[in-house]
Amino acid sequence: MHEWYGGLASFLLLNVVVGLLRVLRGPTPADRMLAAQLFGTTGVATLLLLAPTFGPALNDIALVFALLAAVTVIAFVRRSWFPVNWEGKGSHDGD
Amino acid sequence: MTGVGMFDVLLAVVLPVLAWWVVAGPDLFRSVVLFIVFGLLLALVWVRLRAPDVALAEAAIGAGLTGALLLDTLGRLRAEGWGTGDDQRGSDAGASGGEHPSV
Amino acid sequence: MTVTEWCSLALTTAGAFFFFAGTVGVLRFPDVYTRLHALTKADGLGLGLIVLGLIVRTQGWTEVCQLALIWILVMVSSATACHLVARAALGTGVRLWRRPG
Repeated sequence: MHEWYGGLASFLLLNVVVGLLRVLRGPTPADRMLAAQLFGTTGVATLLLLAPTFGPALNDIALVFALLAAVTVIAFVRRSWFPVNWEGKGSHDGD
Repeated sequence: MTGVGMFDVLLAVVLPVLAWWVVAGPDLFRSVVLFIVFGLLLALVWVRLRAPDVALAEAAIGAGLTGALLLDTLGRLRAEGWGTGDDQRGSDAGASGGEHPSV
Repeated sequence: MTVTEWCSLALTTAGAFFFFAGTVGVLRFPDVYTRLHALTKADGLGLGLIVLGLIVRTQGWTEVCQLALIWILVMVSSATACHLVARAALGTGVRLWRRPG
């Protein structure tokens, strides 16, 4: 049973490794950042799957992972991608 | 332990490559994102080494806090004209290369 | 293997499949908005199934509550992040993908 959970965790880690391709290719910063968010969610699932084998402390780390993804994405949107105040511009006039 | 063994092999193979990309990549923003991903995977390594407390610290401080601070710094640098901010506006071209501020 | 173990196995495997679908979507879809769509929905469902599969094999209520809390937190944060990124992408003029031809 635990063996099966470990195999699934490896499969999820393999997903992360393949998903790195999106971080490398881009093209926009949003693509790279949302791939990082994908890795955060996948990391949560991996930790939860490893928790039966390695102890319940991993649930706490999974909680921190969930928090981390939110914090980095918000820092990215508010501070990094578009440094001027994009909310004050009124309408979204991109097509 | 074959399932978890494959987990270890994957981590051991990917992490050094990822570290190299973080340091040697041409695009600063890409390096920051890769650094965050590196922190996530390093936390998984600490879990496998049976050090969940270190993994907690690595995830919270190493990946989360430092990643957010680096993103903030990058935005500040771009706003002051260090990076080439204009090529990031959604075009497929110019997503790499020549992004280093000369500090 | 008991019935609960079979249930747990089936649910976690289904969750891993949805994670796989999300990764394929992020790699294959043509623009930011479609990728956001694939990522947040598939991953939310996949994590939900994995959490459910782990809940059926736990004993104590505290662990059940903790797992459910993790899932709710991930759902809320990923939905918020999805909207923020999509709005910022629109604001900076990332074009919507149209079917060619």
